[in-house]
Amino acid sequence: MSNILEKLRILSDAAKYDASCSSSGSKRANTTKGLGNAEGMGICHSYTEDGRCVSLLKILFTNHCIYDCAYCVSRRSNDVKRAAFTVEDVVDLTINFYRRNYIEGLFLSSGIFKNADYTMERLVRVARTLRTQHNFNGYIHVKAIPGASPELLHEAGLYADRLSVNIEIPSEASLQKVAPEKNYSDIITPMNYLRSEKEKYVDEKPHIKNTPLFLPAGQSTQLIVGASPENDRHILRLANSLYQKQKLKRVYYSGYVPIATDNRVPDLSAPPLVRENRIYQADWLLRFYGFSVDEIVDEKTPDLDLEIDPKLAYALRHPEKFPVDINRADYEMILRVPGIGVKSAKKIISSRRHQYLHIDHLQKIGVVLKRARYFICCPGLVVKPGNFQVENVRRAIIASDRAPAAAQMGLFG
Amino acid sequence: MVFVYDGSYEGLLSCIFTIFKDRITPIAINAEANHQFTLLDVATRITTNDEWAVRVLKGVDERTHSCASGLMYKIFLSELPLCEMLVYQLVLAIIQKGDGTVLENFANPHILKAAQIEKMIHREVHRMHAFVRFQKSRNGFFYAAIDPDFNVLPLIGEHFEKRYADQSWLIFDTRRHYGLYYDQDVMKFACADDPVFSINLLLLQDESFQDEKEKQYQALWENYFHAVNIRERNNTKLHLRHMPRRYWKYLTEKQGTYKR
Repeated sequence: MSNILEKLRILSDAAKYDASCSSSGSKRANTTKGLGNAEGMGICHSYTEDGRCVSLLKILFTNHCIYDCAYCVSRRSNDVKRAAFTVEDVVDLTINFYRRNYIEGLFLSSGIFKNADYTMERLVRVARTLRTQHNFNGYIHVKAIPGASPELLHEAGLYADRLSVNIEIPSEASLQKVAPEKNYSDIITPMNYLRSEKEKYVDEKPHIKNTPLFLPAGQSTQLIVGASPENDRHILRLANSLYQKQKLKRVYYSGYVPIATDNRVPDLSAPPLVRENRIYQADWLLRFYGFSVDEIVDEKTPDLDLEIDPKLAYALRHPEKFPVDINRADYEMILRVPGIGVKSAKKIISSRRHQYLHIDHLQKIGVVLKRARYFICCPGLVVKPGNFQVENVRRAIIASDRAPAAAQMGLFG
Repeated sequence: MVFVYDGSYEGLLSCIFTIFKDRITPIAINAEANHQFTLLDVATRITTNDEWAVRVLKGVDERTHSCASGLMYKIFLSELPLCEMLVYQLVLAIIQKGDGTVLENFANPHILKAAQIEKMIHREVHRMHAFVRFQKSRNGFFYAAIDPDFNVLPLIGEHFEKRYADQSWLIFDTRRHYGLYYDQDVMKFACADDPVFSINLLLLQDESFQDEKEKQYQALWENYFHAVNIRERNNTKLHLRHMPRRYWKYLTEKQGTYKR
C-alpha cells in the first residue's frame, strides 16, 4: 500500500504537465453489462486548486527516461526520484477509481525506458488488460511513443479511445535545441499512420458488419508555449495544419512552467498564462467560429494582443464590417460580434423568426452588451452613429472588464 | 383562483388539466406543504388523477414532437418558487400556438425563464454525474450520499445504470431523504424508512461497514488529487467556481482540507 502510494505520488506528479484532460468524443457504449461507458460527453470529476479539471487518472507508467529534453522534469539528467508501475498496478488503480466515480478513465503516458517499442508494448498491455479481462468501457487515452512500430500503434488504436503524440516545441529547429534526441519526422509519422488507419476503418464501415472501434475519439497533441521563441502566428498556423492535415481533434497549449534549471530553456519568473489563454481563444475561433489564421494574426501583427481577446481585436481591426444588424445579418456575421457566443447567436437566429428583437431581448438571451453594443445595430440601443473610435472603444472595454461588477450594477440599479 | 395539490408531479398536472377543462385563469398553484391560506383567495384542492396527468403530457408532446414534457418535468424538479405557474404557462403557450416552435422564441419571458431553469437543472445533473463519490461496503455494495441544490435524483439514474451495470449501488439524497437503488437488474427509488436502505452519514464513516480496502483507495485518491496540482498556477477563484464549497462535504478528495 505505502509502496503504491509512493509510486502514485511520483508518477502522477510527473504527468501533471500534460494539459490534455478531455474524456469526450468517444462512442464506446456499455453494451455488455460490463463496467463503464464512454459514449457521452466528458465529465470533470474534480478540479485541482489550480482550477484545472480532473477527468482521467493521469499518470506515467514510469518516469525513468533515456532522453534528455530540457523542458521535461523526467529528463535523464534531472535528479528526481524514479519509479515504475507494473501493469497490474495501473489496472487495479483504474478499475477501483472508476468504480467509485472518481474518474472517467485512464490517461497513460510514460518516460522511455530501453526503447520506444519496449515502452509502447507495456502501455498497450495495460489497455488490453482493461478491455479484454475487465470488460472496461471507460475512456482510455494512451501516449503514442514516437518511433514505436506500426503494429503496436495499431493494437493501441484498437483498445484506446484516443492516442496522442506530443509535438511539445512548435518548430523543429527549436525542438532540436532542447531535445536533441527528437525530431519532427518521428512525431508526424505516427500521426499520419494513425490517421490513415482510422480512415480505413471508417471506409470499411458500410461494407463490414462489425467494424471494431478504432480510436473513436481521434488524436490530440500538445505544444509548449513560451519555452522557445516562436510567435503566436507560427503556433496557430502549425495548429491549423495539424487540424487540417493530420485531422487532430484537439491541440493543447501549455504555458511553459519553469521547472528546469537547464540553460537550454528560458528562466521565466512565472508561466505565461495570459498568452496561453489568448492562444486557446484563438484556437476556438478557428474551430467553432469560422475564422482563418490570417484573420486572427497576420504578418503585421504576428502576436495576439494580451490585453484584449482575439475576437475583439479582429473587430477593432475591421471597423468597416460593423455594425451588424441583429435582425437581418447572417449567422456567420452575428457570430463575429464580440460578446456574442455560439449559444447566443443560435438563440438570436431562432428567436427572430418569431419577433423583431429589441436590445432588452439580447440582454436576456445572454449577449454581453458591454462588448457587443459597439458592434451591433438593434432597436433600443443608444449609440450615436458614426461615433466609432477604435481607440476609445478599446479603452472603454478594457476599463469595463476591470471595473468590479458591483460598480457596474449601480449604473442601472 | 388558487390551486392546491399534493406535491407530486401528477398532482400538478391534474391541476393544469382542471384549469383547462374548466377554463379558469389561475392566480397561483401551490403544493400542500407550501400553501398558506389567506382570506382573500379561494383555494381549490385538486385530487391527483393519473389519467388526467397523462392526458396533459400527451397533449403537449403531440404538439411539440415530444420536446415539452421533459422540459416541464425539469421545471417542476427545480422546486423553485412559482415553478408550478411556469409549467402552466408553458402548457398555455404551447396550446395557444398549437405547435412546438413557440419553445424557440426566447423573447417570450416564460420560454426564456424555462430555458434558464432548464440550464440550471442541467448543470446540477452534470455536477451530480461528476461529484457522486461511491464507497464500497463489506457486502460489495457501492454507496453515495448527495445533497443537490435541486431535486435531480430522478434525472441521474440512467447515467449511473449505464456506467455501473455490473455493480450494485445506492445514491441517497440526504436533504430530501430518499434514494435510488440499482441491483444490477432494475433501478428503484428507496425511502429512508426502508430498513434495507437505512444508511446515514455515521454508518458511511464506520470502518466496520466499509470494505477493508476502502480507506486505502480513498487515501490514494486524495493523494492523487493533491499530486496533480501545479502550485505555480494556483487559482482559487477558478477552483471554487468549478467546485463550490457546498459540495465538498461528500467529496472524498476534499475531506482532509475540509477538516483542516
